Parts: sequence; C-alpha cells; structure tokens
Amino acid sequence: MWDLNKPRKAILRTGVIRDFDTHAIGVKTGLVIIYIVCALIAFVSLFPILWVFFAGFKSLQEFVSSPTLLPQALDLSQYTNTWSQLKIYNNYLNSVYHVAGSVVCALVFNGLLAYGLAILKPKGYKIVSSLVMFSLLMPATISIVPLFINIQNLHMGRFFTPLWLASGASAFYVVLFRQFFESFPGSIIEASRIDGCTSLQTFRRIVLPLSKPICVVVAIYAVNGAWSDFLLPYLVLDGTVWETVMVRLYSFSSQQTVNADDLMRAVVFAMIPPILLFFLFQKKLTENVVVSGIKG
Amino acid sequence: MERTVTYRQSRRGGGKLTQHLSSWLIMLPSILLFAFFLWGPLAQGIVMSFFTTRNVSLDKFVGIGNYASIFKSQEFWQAFGNTVMYTVWSLVIGFLVPIAMALVIGETTRGKGFFRTASYVPNVLPGLAAIILYTAFFSAEETGVFNIILKWFGVERQSYLTEMGLVIPLIVIISTWKGAGATALIYMAGLSGINPELYEAATIDGAGIWKRVRHITMPAIFNLGSTLMILQIITVFQILYEPMVLTKGGPDNASLSLMYLMWRYAFGGRIEFGKAAAAGVIISLILLLFTLLYTRVNRRKNDWEG
Repeated sequence: MWDLNKPRKAILRTGVIRDFDTHAIGVKTGLVIIYIVCALIAFVSLFPILWVFFAGFKSLQEFVSSPTLLPQALDLSQYTNTWSQLKIYNNYLNSVYHVAGSVVCALVFNGLLAYGLAILKPKGYKIVSSLVMFSLLMPATISIVPLFINIQNLHMGRFFTPLWLASGASAFYVVLFRQFFESFPGSIIEASRIDGCTSLQTFRRIVLPLSKPICVVVAIYAVNGAWSDFLLPYLVLDGTVWETVMVRLYSFSSQQTVNADDLMRAVVFAMIPPILLFFLFQKKLTENVVVSGIKG
Repeated sequence: MERTVTYRQSRRGGGKLTQHLSSWLIMLPSILLFAFFLWGPLAQGIVMSFFTTRNVSLDKFVGIGNYASIFKSQEFWQAFGNTVMYTVWSLVIGFLVPIAMALVIGETTRGKGFFRTASYVPNVLPGLAAIILYTAFFSAEETGVFNIILKWFGVERQSYLTEMGLVIPLIVIISTWKGAGATALIYMAGLSGINPELYEAATIDGAGIWKRVRHITMPAIFNLGSTLMILQIITVFQILYEPMVLTKGGPDNASLSLMYLMWRYAFGGRIEFGKAAAAGVIISLILLLFTLLYTRVNRRKNDWEG
C-alpha cells in the first residue's frame, strides 16, 4: 500500500552511496543515521495529521483544560455530534456539487482548448497559446478583485456557476492536456479526417477515448482543487445556503462561532476526502509531480 | 445526428476556411472563459487602479492617486518588508529542506516508498485546514501542542504567533511542512536521472562519498534547484492564507503580507477596490520581474540540455 514504485526484485543502492561503500564501518553508521533522519521526516510529516484525528475525540472540557496529546477515550460520539449538530453534512453535499461541476468544466473546456492548440492549430492559434502560457505564469489571485466585481455585476454570485466555470479556465490543465495530445501520432488524426470526421467527431471518437489517463489526472487535480478552494467560494457563497466545507471552516475560525474542539473536528472532516483521494490515486498524483514539475 | 460524409464531400465542403472557422468555434467557449476569468480581470485591474470606486462600479478618475496613497502609507512598506522577510526565510528554511530530504530519502533502500509517501501527504491537505490545524499547535494556552511538549522538558509555556520576531519564521515553517515533500519528489526525480556509472567512475578515481555529493550530485541538480528557487519566490511572494487565518496580519502588522494588504483594501471593511487594484498591479509588476528571470533561467537550462 505504501510503495510508490513496484518493489524492485533485488534491492540495489541507487544513491550516492554505492554497494561497495557499505562495507566500511563509517558508512554503515552513516546509513543508520540516514534512516533515523528519514524516520524523523516521516514522523514530522504525519504527526500533526495523526494528532488532529485523535484530538477530535476530546470533549470541549478535555480540550481546553487537560494538557495531554491524546484523548482519555476514543469517544466517536464527539465526531458524530459535531457532524450532525453543526450540519456539516450540508456543507459536504455543497462541496460535492461544487466538485462535480468543476470536474466536468475542467475536462470539457480545457480539453477542447488544448485540442485546438495541439492538434487543430487553426490560423492564429499561437496568440491564444501564448496568452494561455502567460496566464500560467501570472498569479490568478491578482485579478480576484475585478473578477469579483464582474461576477456581482452579472448577478452570478450566490451560486456555484462562477466557480464551476472558473475551473474551465485553467492554464495548468490546458498545458497538461496539450502535452498529452502532442504525443499523438499525426497519422491517426489525419486518417480520421480522411474518413470524413469533422473536428468535433475526431475529438469524440479518436482523441477522447485515447485520453483516459490524462483525463483521470486532470480530474484528480480538479477534485482536490475544488474541494480545497476557498477564496472565490468565500466571496461567492459566504452567507448563502450553498457554503462549502472550506467556506464554513473559514467562518468557524474567523468568527470564533464554534468551540475549539468542534473546530478541530471540522478540520478533520475537511481533510478526510483529499487524504482518501490521495491513497486511492497516489501513484498518479506523485508521478505527475515528477513529470510536470508543477505541484497541483 | 451523425453526419456521414465521404472523403470527397468533406474535401469540397470542408475547405481550408471552414476548417479554420470550425476549429475556432471549438475553442471559442474556452477562450471566452479564459477572457472572463483571467485575461479580462487582469486588464480591468490595471484600469481600475486609476479610479476610485463606488459599490461595484468605477467612480472618479484619480490618475496615480491610488498608487500615491499606497506608497505614502506606512502599512504598505511594512507589508513589503514583511513579504521580503517571508521570502528570505523561505529561502533559508524552505529551499534547503526539500533538497536535504531528497538526498537522504534517496539513500534509503528499504522503506523508500513509505518515506516518500509520508512526506508527501501534507501536500494534499486543503491549505486552509492545515493552517487552522496549526492554530492548535501554536496556541499560547497550556493545552497548545507545542506547550504540552515543552512542559515535558520543564519549559515554561510560550506564546508563538504573537511574538513580533517569531511570527514570520513560524509561518514559513508551516508552509514548508506542507510543501517540502512534494518539492523533494521533484528533486528525487532529478537525482534518479544521474547515471550511476558517474559515481562508480568517480570512486575509481578516488572520490569519497562527500566528494561525489559535491562534484556529481550537486551540479546535477543545480539547474533544477535554480528553477525551483524562483518558482518558490513567486509563490511565497503571494502568501495570503497563512497571515489571514493565523494572525490576521498581527501582531501589530508584523505578519501582514502584500497580498493580504490587497485583500484588506478590497474586503476588509472600507471597500477600496481602486486601491486594491493598484496594490494588485504593484504585486504583479514585482512578480513579472521574477517570471522573466524564471524564463531566462529555464531557457538557459534548455540550451545546456539541448
């Protein structure tokens, strides 16, 4: 479950220290130290996450008065109470709407644009292509104020529509799709054209069926992105019945409307879906970090 | 709905021009979205920075008035200095940690997958949730996690995020905790690209382990490192969530960042969209400099590889 790579048949040293080094006693102790450091890295990485899961079992009284790391008892009712009393399930449902629409938009709009830029290449496509590359490098957060004003002016606020459509305009996803499409042999596309397919038919019948791997990657990123997104959802949905988990979490923490123990349980609820997603698709996710050199 | 067209028909009906037009039609919806969500707001932001606003519309043209009042405000220079400090600290802590992690994890044989996965997990957490989680760690109460641990060693409880000199490094540590595993993964990919024969040849020439690290490993990831360093500067320069959630810019604006200042102009009580837009333009210009540097470095790297 843990291995990112398939286990190698014979374990060979692949780093600076080679197999012939390992006979020296100094190198051997060095290796022991390296393992201790690695264990520390893993511990530091995981400890806060494990802690919050356990701290979630504490009652309010225990949380604010007893200076211990672990709870006295694993009382699951603490979690279920927070879940039902604060109606977190509503926010979960809203987040699911948000995520689902975002994934669809991310796949359809970015996929089609990348198809145009990588395969169709109509006259003048280079202008669009460089504009997309430009927005990859420009911070999107800068334009959040004018964007918010536009959304207000079009009366699109207070529902998911702008959030869904926003994920259809992601330079990062376009680049991912594009790199993938560019690896297609031109002959396939040419053949379908000769067989009389229109551009859209080629996309549906040839390109799309071959693109499952990249669609999965973009979908995972889109799920995670939409679930964790907070700035625009906050501006659009705050105070409506459509508040997502992140929006609710922010209002919990900024307005201090909930108790400290409930806040930690809300953090746990917010973390569970991305962690599950990660363990289901860890290979895809970590591979892609390596390939694209961009963290999602 | 399906249209069956023979080869000849498609040649006749689908001449060059129609082909170009239909291609543009396919891309049009996406282009409109990009225009609405990214390109338009960017241009509008520049225009808006020269105006005052009332509600959600432009009001009066004030020329460089917004910029002047920003540059005159003490808040801006504080935020600018803080943002520079965020960047410096993230270079001290955040830049070296992933490299060290990649080197160390790269030397393991057993458990490598576990170490890689474990250090990557924080990266998948929602940023907001991770930050709120750390409020419990840095709590000044005796039930704060770090204070509990300090108590084991008999150390008095401390306040953390309310210390002027401490708040920025602590925030950088949090974001390093979250991001380092993913960055280390990129370095590990770079390290695995080194031809092992290089190490073996160097050993035959009498190079010890340190010499190999110094003369083979380090040069091999130098380019990657410079690229990632600039990307990191660009990211850290836009730090917003951490001060917003953890400290609200405090204590006494000691953790106020440029982005958070922009946010406060726009949504922090007094609604000054024009001023926020001007702050956005200023931040963009600074980032543009880094971006140019990034493309420069990237091009040089490609030259060397090609």
